[in-house]
Amino acid sequence: MMIEQRPAKVGPAGAAELGAFLKDASERGDVLEIQGGNTLASMGQPVQAAHTVLSTQKLRRVLAYEFENLTVSVEAGLTLRALRALLAERNQFVPLDAPRAQHATVGGTLAAGWLGPRRHLLGRSRDYVIGSRVALADGTLVAAGGMVVKNVTGYDMSKLYIGSFGTLGVLVSANFKTLPLPAQARLFTARLPEHSWLRTLTHVGELEVPPTAALWVHGFSKSIAGDDGTDGRVMILLEGSAALIERGTRELRAALGRGGVPETAIHNEGARDLFERALDGYVAPTGQRSITYRIFGTPDNIESMVREVYGLAREHALAPEAIADILNGDIAFRLSAKDARAFAERIEAFDDALHASYARAQIIAGQSPVRPSLNLWGELPPAIEKMRALKVLFDPARILNPGRFIGGI
Amino acid sequence: MFAARLIEALGADAVKTAPEDLAVYAFDAYSQALLPSVVVLPSSTRDVAAAVKIANDCGEPIVARGAGTGLCGGAVPAKGGMVLSFARMNRILELDTRNRRARVQPGLVNLDLSRASQPSGLFYAPDPSSQKVCTIGGNCATNAGGPHCLSYGTTVNHVLGLELVDDAGEVFHTSIDDAGYDLTGALVGSEGTLAIICAADVRLMKLPEEVRVWVAAFRDVECASQTVSAIIAAGVVPTALEIMDEIIVKVVEASYQAGYPLDAGAVLLVEYAGFANDMNEYEAAIEKIASENGAISWRAARSQAERDALWAGRKGAAGATGRLAPNYYIQDVCVPRSKLPAALAAVGASARAHELTVGNVFHAGDGNLHPLLMYDKRDCKQVGAVIDAGNEILQACVDLGGTISGEHGIGYEKRDTLSLVFSTEDLAAMARVREVFDPKRVLNPEKIFPAGVSCGEVR
Ligand SMILES: Cc1cc2nc3c(=O)[nH]c(=O)nc-3n(C[C@H](O)[C@H](O)[C@H](O)COP(=O)(O)OP(=O)(O)OC[C@H]3O[C@@H](n4cnc5c(N)ncnc54)[C@H](O)[C@@H]3O)c2cc1C
Repeated sequence: MMIEQRPAKVGPAGAAELGAFLKDASERGDVLEIQGGNTLASMGQPVQAAHTVLSTQKLRRVLAYEFENLTVSVEAGLTLRALRALLAERNQFVPLDAPRAQHATVGGTLAAGWLGPRRHLLGRSRDYVIGSRVALADGTLVAAGGMVVKNVTGYDMSKLYIGSFGTLGVLVSANFKTLPLPAQARLFTARLPEHSWLRTLTHVGELEVPPTAALWVHGFSKSIAGDDGTDGRVMILLEGSAALIERGTRELRAALGRGGVPETAIHNEGARDLFERALDGYVAPTGQRSITYRIFGTPDNIESMVREVYGLAREHALAPEAIADILNGDIAFRLSAKDARAFAERIEAFDDALHASYARAQIIAGQSPVRPSLNLWGELPPAIEKMRALKVLFDPARILNPGRFIGGI
Repeated sequence: MFAARLIEALGADAVKTAPEDLAVYAFDAYSQALLPSVVVLPSSTRDVAAAVKIANDCGEPIVARGAGTGLCGGAVPAKGGMVLSFARMNRILELDTRNRRARVQPGLVNLDLSRASQPSGLFYAPDPSSQKVCTIGGNCATNAGGPHCLSYGTTVNHVLGLELVDDAGEVFHTSIDDAGYDLTGALVGSEGTLAIICAADVRLMKLPEEVRVWVAAFRDVECASQTVSAIIAAGVVPTALEIMDEIIVKVVEASYQAGYPLDAGAVLLVEYAGFANDMNEYEAAIEKIASENGAISWRAARSQAERDALWAGRKGAAGATGRLAPNYYIQDVCVPRSKLPAALAAVGASARAHELTVGNVFHAGDGNLHPLLMYDKRDCKQVGAVIDAGNEILQACVDLGGTISGEHGIGYEKRDTLSLVFSTEDLAAMARVREVFDPKRVLNPEKIFPAGVSCGEVR
């Protein structure tokens, strides 16, 4: 009988302890799986032969909140929700916008380079990181950047650690520049019967007062509150001053009306919370009978992307659901079948077909046992050899999440 | 031999070896000058790759150069070798107004991109004060900032991807949309030490609906900077917050008649670009903070012409100091914004101690100081005083939680002060990146890293 050895779990409570642990691990050559809130566990290959799970969850201190400078420094294990609450007390925020904010950690969100729906207007998480502290594979603690908002003192090493999936070092803490929180937020939701949604959404992208985010959600009925999953529906977030929101509301209503949308509901109370909950859909699981892909295009081809992938899904007898990020032009698709076996039989052919059209399609969620045999990251980037060389120099013994990231990094 | 091979590959027209030509490429806007052995003017990425391969064969270092406006000796060929000047690769390759992006060659002048995008209602946000001459390639290599970076971010926030030639002469591409490590983010700001930028994909922004510019006058630069700290602390982030002290305002007015008040110890230039709906509320909020912090006057620019004049004066400020002294040394430091008054006090104290005249003109909203120390380079004593005062200012800003360069870079000038900010281990991590991209140190040698730092030290 095969006995699966579950790796032990350690959770250092401070940077020095983490460094000491890494030093020992690197001397012994113990392979580590780095874990934050484990919310994006289904991105990338499972770490092969992990000896220990290294959790950052006990690293959750606020190191410095210089609210008068619009900067904050926090440890990697702080959850996004805790960070949001901290900043909200001073009417500030950082647009990290990752799913499952009550569990997702700052470090995990940065390590995954998660791309949220407000980035078309506000930029990516990497654009807000002004400094970081990282434990390298041999346990050395190194600093990058600082607590100032403009800094060209040496290479911007934080850029390399962000989005590296823990394969170059373990993020210990990150410094952010924050933004003043817009005075008000308003969320619009509307049923969007399939035949009319394209026209409508094109208009949304061209409004004078741009929404901060706009998602078209089809399905995900249990993941997103209040959705019965039959029609598509749109969720549009406006943020700004009261005057701007009034103007944005008029423009948006007119645009939706022109697009044939009969009714729009407005949520003023808790608009941001509702929106945050919608993001949970990106990683919502359906046992072992689903997988969620993310594909990247441009706002103007979003409709054809949905049509094409839905067509492919039906050809392969898989049920599609979608979260289309209208303003950024990326779409998450969850494909499922009625049971795990049927799913496993169909998904491999679908995976090939999807990548034939969308070479960069990535898998972001799903617990099907066939997941590791699929194309998890899409085609290799042209500079993969440079990336491999970086991995070799930063983690020569291959103890940090080996194999998890693209190209076996 | 070296030059002959370059001529054979690229044509005589693209290769300069005459001493009078080389002399032009011996320096940038920093005072140090060192001669290259040859200057190449490539017309294409292929030319760059070919030239790099030949330089490699001949064991010659390679220094990329844009307009040479860099202030830290970044484009100075510290160990001689080949200067690659991008003056002929200055075209916009693609202007995709629908998706708000452009692909440009590195020699394109910064301002030309905004000019070309304007008819489509777009602009390129990073705007160094040198934007009439500096290039997008140089901007990418230094991660240049500018007055409007306060709300729009610096160059790295606007670069979507790069076409590069590596140390061995091979072309490679990066994009922020590729899976894998963010090489684009790491290469921007690497000052030509990791790869040569041959094209850049950049983000364009929609022109704002309305722009307003105001000028507040203060008794002294401390009050002005206290106002900036208070504006930021109130959670109000305008598009630009620039300060000029009395010395600078006087020369700016003498040169430009820009419209700044002459009876003030310092002026604060405020710009807010955004939606018409928000303008009055913003103006009221900022004006209130200014008056609470001792503003002696507050004036709104009434027309586009007035706004342009104020900005022309601000962006021409450094050059205008030629009226004060034969030479100026511009320091570039950045501190947390609440520390602006303390940092300015340290600058003043240091200048007084060394009997130097100092003018301050800076990106106050970002905490990015630019003290201009006036001197005459024929006077050795003054030169020594400038160097000492410059170093004291660096140390004072580091002590205040700041850093030794906010936007101009490390280059040749500041490499030995990098250790004020970073430990040997921190620098060794950077050196690993250098090791991956340029193991033989042929790309812009003697820059950024203090002499003696290598990743071998930590292995
Ligand atoms: C009056 C004045 C005002 C200024 N104001 C500002 C300001 O507001 N903000 C600011 O950030 N800077 C400012 N600067 C500094 C300077 O203009 C910037 O650093 C600018 O980005 C340099 O661009 P350049 O084309 O002149 O580059 P260069 O000076 O030619 O080169 C700068 C560096 O980039 C490298 N490089 C150039 N091209 C390439 C390439 N294609 N590939 C790889 N490496 C390359 C060079 O090797 C060098 O290390 C100012 C300078 C002056 C003189």
